[in-house]
Amino acid sequence: MGVRFRPKLMSEVNLGSGSFCPGGNRRGVETPPSFFDAADHLAQGTLLPSGASGPGVLLTADGGRYTGTLFGAQQHGEGELVFTTGMMGYQESLTDPSFAGQVLTFTYPLIGNYGVHEGASESGAVWPRGVVVRHAMKQPDHRFSIGTVDELLRSHGVPGIENIDTRSITRRVRELGTVLCVFGPEDDEALLKARLQNLTSPELEDLVEEVSIDAPVVLNPGALDDLNRPLPRLGALDCGIKYNILRNLCEHFEVVWCPPSTSFEILTESYNIDALFCSNGPGDPAHPGKATMARNTLAAAVRAKMPVMGICLGHQLMGLASGLQTYKMRYGHRGANQPVVDLVHGTVAITSQNHGFAVADPDAGMLAAHPSGACSPPGENTLGAEVKVRYVNANDRTVEGLDIVGHPSFTVQFHPEACPGPHDAAPLFKRFRDIVDEHLGGGR
Amino acid sequence: MPRRDDLKTIMVLGSGPIKIGQAAEFDFSGSQAVQALREDGYEVILVNSNPATIQNDPEMADKIYIEPLIPDTVRRILEIERPCALLAGMGGQTALNIASELAHDGSLERLGVELIGSDLDAIDKAEDRELFNQVCESIGLPISEAIACNSMEEVIAAADEIGSWPILIRPAFTLGGLGGGTAWDLGQLVEIATLGLRNSRISQVLIEESILGWQELEYEVMRDGADNATIVCTMENIDPMGVHTGESTVVAPLQSFSDADHQVLRDQALSLIRELNIKGGCNVQFAFNQFTGEIRVIEVNPRVSRSSALASKATGYPIARMAAKIAVGYTLDELPNPITGEGTTAAFEPTLDYCVVKIPRWPFDKFRTADRTLGTSMKSTGEVMAIGRNFEEAFLKAWASLEQGCAHPRPLTRADESEGDGMAERALTELPDSTLVEWCRVATDRRMGALIEAFRRGWSVEKVHEITRITRWFLYRFENIAQTERSITDTHATPTELTREQLKHWKSLGFSDAHIADALSGFPASGPKSLQPGFDEDAVMKRRHNLGLHPRFRMVDSCAAEFAAKTPYYYSTYEIDDEVGIDALPNLEERTKERLVTVGSGPIRIGQGIEFDYGCVHAVKAIRAAGKDAVLINNNPETVSTDFDTSDRLYFEPLTLEYVTEVLLREQAHGILLQFGGQTAINLALPLDERLPMLEHLGLNMSIMGTSCDAVDEASDRERFEAFAKRIGLQMPRGATGTSSDDVRAAVEQIGFPVLIRPSYVLGGRGMEILANQQQVDAYLREAYLAPDKPLLVDEYLGHATEIDVDAAADGSEVLIGAIMEHLEEAGIHSGDSTCFIPAQNIPDSMLQRIAEQTKAIGLGLNIKGCYNIQFAIQGDQLYTLEVNPRSSRTVPFVAKATGLPMARIAANITIGIPLADQTIPQRTSGQVCVKAPVFPFIKLRGLDPAPGPEMKSTGEVYGSDVSADVAYLKARIATEVPVATEGGAYLTVRNDDKTKLVPIAQDLVELGFTIYATPGTCDVLRANDVPATVAYRIADKNHPDALDLMREGKVSFIVNVPTISGGAVRDGNMMRRLAVELNIPFVTTLRGASMEVAAMKAAKRGPLEPRRLTVHY
Repeated sequence: MGVRFRPKLMSEVNLGSGSFCPGGNRRGVETPPSFFDAADHLAQGTLLPSGASGPGVLLTADGGRYTGTLFGAQQHGEGELVFTTGMMGYQESLTDPSFAGQVLTFTYPLIGNYGVHEGASESGAVWPRGVVVRHAMKQPDHRFSIGTVDELLRSHGVPGIENIDTRSITRRVRELGTVLCVFGPEDDEALLKARLQNLTSPELEDLVEEVSIDAPVVLNPGALDDLNRPLPRLGALDCGIKYNILRNLCEHFEVVWCPPSTSFEILTESYNIDALFCSNGPGDPAHPGKATMARNTLAAAVRAKMPVMGICLGHQLMGLASGLQTYKMRYGHRGANQPVVDLVHGTVAITSQNHGFAVADPDAGMLAAHPSGACSPPGENTLGAEVKVRYVNANDRTVEGLDIVGHPSFTVQFHPEACPGPHDAAPLFKRFRDIVDEHLGGGR
Repeated sequence: MPRRDDLKTIMVLGSGPIKIGQAAEFDFSGSQAVQALREDGYEVILVNSNPATIQNDPEMADKIYIEPLIPDTVRRILEIERPCALLAGMGGQTALNIASELAHDGSLERLGVELIGSDLDAIDKAEDRELFNQVCESIGLPISEAIACNSMEEVIAAADEIGSWPILIRPAFTLGGLGGGTAWDLGQLVEIATLGLRNSRISQVLIEESILGWQELEYEVMRDGADNATIVCTMENIDPMGVHTGESTVVAPLQSFSDADHQVLRDQALSLIRELNIKGGCNVQFAFNQFTGEIRVIEVNPRVSRSSALASKATGYPIARMAAKIAVGYTLDELPNPITGEGTTAAFEPTLDYCVVKIPRWPFDKFRTADRTLGTSMKSTGEVMAIGRNFEEAFLKAWASLEQGCAHPRPLTRADESEGDGMAERALTELPDSTLVEWCRVATDRRMGALIEAFRRGWSVEKVHEITRITRWFLYRFENIAQTERSITDTHATPTELTREQLKHWKSLGFSDAHIADALSGFPASGPKSLQPGFDEDAVMKRRHNLGLHPRFRMVDSCAAEFAAKTPYYYSTYEIDDEVGIDALPNLEERTKERLVTVGSGPIRIGQGIEFDYGCVHAVKAIRAAGKDAVLINNNPETVSTDFDTSDRLYFEPLTLEYVTEVLLREQAHGILLQFGGQTAINLALPLDERLPMLEHLGLNMSIMGTSCDAVDEASDRERFEAFAKRIGLQMPRGATGTSSDDVRAAVEQIGFPVLIRPSYVLGGRGMEILANQQQVDAYLREAYLAPDKPLLVDEYLGHATEIDVDAAADGSEVLIGAIMEHLEEAGIHSGDSTCFIPAQNIPDSMLQRIAEQTKAIGLGLNIKGCYNIQFAIQGDQLYTLEVNPRSSRTVPFVAKATGLPMARIAANITIGIPLADQTIPQRTSGQVCVKAPVFPFIKLRGLDPAPGPEMKSTGEVYGSDVSADVAYLKARIATEVPVATEGGAYLTVRNDDKTKLVPIAQDLVELGFTIYATPGTCDVLRANDVPATVAYRIADKNHPDALDLMREGKVSFIVNVPTISGGAVRDGNMMRRLAVELNIPFVTTLRGASMEVAAMKAAKRGPLEPRRLTVHY
């Protein structure tokens, strides 16, 4: 105990030969690579390190103090305190790389009811640097359950604290905006206090670098459609990509899963891609590290009139590339019930979301902004095209998606791949494929 | 799309009387819809036959008709009013069936009335089983193998085709699954299907594969005209498939389902509502095999329902309001979520940060002989809901809200077998394991208590799962309750020795002070009330207060605190180290308004129905109108009182002393109103009065408003009231109190037969019987439980007396009499089950004068401050006072609608300090006769003798009004949904001393064209008076044809059956009445009732009924 949380890198996550195989069982694919799923440790019965227990304390940078009971790994938790309102899907959230750098609070009080399932993770690791719940349920019940949330956290070295009044935390974050926090054993309180004082925002770290893969890999080489024609080839820039995005993309494309730093030239010259996708991911979209490299690749693809789709961070990067600013939101959108209005059709979809930054609206500006006022500096339009706001959030009217005018490209802030969350927006993957097909030669 | 401008007037249909399967939820949804439409400028015409609802209060809608909810009447009102549109989705199955019929017969088209909300096609597709199955198949939704059958031959063929037992029978177009069931063999199949075919409006039943043991769950879905659709709430039944969802203990949101499971179900629910093209709210029921993940769609309700009321209260999302807005053209994203204000819209899926538990309220505490088995048709009359931060807390709070037996679970003993108070010595014997297995296996009202008991005995989760098929997740939670209970007992501590940590932990799991005290004492067989001072509930409360442990109050805000909510709707929970308490009342210290707390009436049950919710809503309105802060506590999710905007602050809490106390402390209340929530609320008066001094040190300085506790006690305590009556010169039936069998026998001897016997402090006349001889006294005493604090009351039974009900209000110096009501039935039949008239029809003015004088004398003498109700009996020229209830009564809404005097509001004003002289009392309506008639649950509850008696049996009531009494009565009778016969055969059987009085009735029936059938003795008397009559054998004669044969052959359309005065079941009569109920043949059990029925038949023949608009204004 007493060790401070050390961020892990995706490269440390055992990527090879796990249970995640998005290219498996697909027409034309012979030897699809497989990857580690965060629940694989539990499925394989790996011996777990002993867990934390006993009284714990959670301190927030604005002076909040909460006592609770520790569980999960014997670590100190630290990071930006956020909350998600989804009532189910905790395993998907815990393994969502977008939560890297954060301490994740679940507003639903009973977490772990149905245990941890094989193949339900969204990456190979648990990414939050701490987990805050009201009750960590110890007796899960579900036909697929292979373990508890406590075990999942222990297997990934992530600490948790329970018996916390999570509604009180939610209310604090809602009113004051996201704040930094630390938690650990009550006995370490002095240590924790000192750590909190020196704690810098995880957003200053290159979080995208932490969570993304290091080298390109083709997930479904040779994939064919129902008529045995090769699928169009897609470059999927990984800024922290969720596994279900890869699964969805593999339905429609031959997918090259690549690091965020991959340049457009390599993608076109070495991989001969037909279309580009950019994923979700953690942190500030304006971070000068890997996120900016991904942004440049996106802009180059748009300039080359290649079809491009972006989700979440991918959307924000496109916004920046178009000359719009991005800004930190007061407390963001995290949950499975965010209503999004399609301004073209006038319909509303209930979507899954997980983001703390947003693209400023060209007219309305920075809605629902964080009190810190953090935002990107004004930038140039590097797309060579105008963007138009296509989707807005029905609650706070923030930007939820962009169409690139005159280009076969669009981006969305929400998560059509769901996991967790509703499938309302799932048709967007098909929409992108249709756009690509049309672009490649008029409706294959 | 904004609101439609082409509609000006909209007719909204209510759901009629409260009955099993259709309770107050439709008053709630209808009221919300009417308000939503009127705020948009539409003129609303409301039709409902139930006088006790808020929705047909004069100020609720523009035009109100309290008329029978039948197609003919509604068609006639449509002809008169010519509205632009009809909204039927708020009135349950009753309204939907009427709308369906009026649409199919072309009436709506002829009159140019548009059906808004879900259209006819949607209703048909959702309701007709065969069409529905086709819809499901067309979009690939898995349904249970089911075959629609229109005859018994088809039923048997279908069972052959399915080929495995058990087989499920579900009738089409009925409410609450009436006539459905599970058959394990051919005999049961024929029996259930016969009833099902008869009860279905389209004579159709569905024969299905059994998916018993699967999990059952529900999705509440909203959809607008632009095809936006969202899920408002998910609900998981603890009871597996096989128990009607209305009969199940239900949890929201889903607990044992993964996101992956949920999203598949969500997709299916959405695709179904889209394919059915439902606009508004709808409810989809699924079965889920937890071992294989298989899904079956069970059914869809294309309207708001009991589940949607629950979903509204569980999430804060006003489903009925939104459904009404959608019906007039709005889309979900145009409608602000009123809970959070402008921040969010109705195109939003609520997210919960708490757990909700609903438990149905069954009438088996009153109907001890009824079959308690729960199945696919409903038996519960109401329900409670509770909210907690974990399942245990929500469940135990729901249990405390039930007001059924003890307010917390206790170890089961043999006494529980014999129901209710049982026998004292049996309480010492543990319930046998074999019985416990049965109580776990068979779903009854006892099942949840049995689960906890099983874990008390150390049974494993696996074992209990094997027995019950209940999802293990819930069983782990019940196990936790039992283990926590054990750990409390094992502390062997006295309340003063408890640590803060211990108490905090137990409280956070929902253990009440009383539960903890009981557990500390090891659950003594003598009951929780027998705990000694220092070891009782008060001692635990004192310790808790000394440790500074109070619940925190959390908001129900539809969004898990993601957005600031405007609507103050709270529940209590014991949170961790939250010293300041979030969701604190804004600026409580700065509030200058007086804060007045009204205690609601809890679940709808027999004896305490929607009338008391009506009273509470009026009290709250009066408080708000007087510029004070109105706070309401209640736990019934179906009601208007628990609507989010009825009061200034709503607390969804059990109505026990502990929870009410904590709300009072939190509010630092200035006063509490206990007169309006029925017996539930008034029962808190004395204990709360005793507790108040203990709360002074916490800054609570308040009073019980209105009538003093002493006066309540004087009116309720028999001896004190007798002394009072003697003092002011009232005559009472002779009576005595007995706390032992010998006392009772002596009392009976002194008074003489027949006697009326009952336990003290009863609700709805529970356990009350008329005893005519010594054997009956012996039998009663064998069943009764006597203790020094639970005496039996023995009264002189007043034969052939007319019963009178009076509702009045007094302010200490003046009395306002609302109405003097005459009962059709004689004294001895519970006033709640009587048909009564305003104004009185057969009482001479001089007697009315005496009644008024005595009413005034009682009100002033007891120093009543508020409302009260008196029951009188008139025998000859004698006036007896039967009882005084120092509270709002069952008849208050009826009086309001019949006379135009809003008695509840007038009384509430007095209670909060506005005397009668300072109030504007509306003009009394005149020139009409108003009738209130009871509605009985006999068809739903087998094993219950369908005869009114001293024990209340009705679930609800209807209203009829006209200038003449016979037409008013006819309307009320039609509204009860039991037909009024106008032709066919009348079967007459009466007591010997009534036979001559029967003659004029029989003569009238003959004139009306009836064939008279009667038992030999009655026949002789009739023939001697020139009335032609055909002999039918008595059933006991075992000769044919007897009455049952005639009924089955369809020869009898009306029955007069006056039973012997004893409540003891007389087998013949019981069998005949039971069959009459099942064949829907009208019967009366009193001669006066028979005369009135004949008058109604004559009125029916005079021509069609003309609906009357309610002309009351207040």
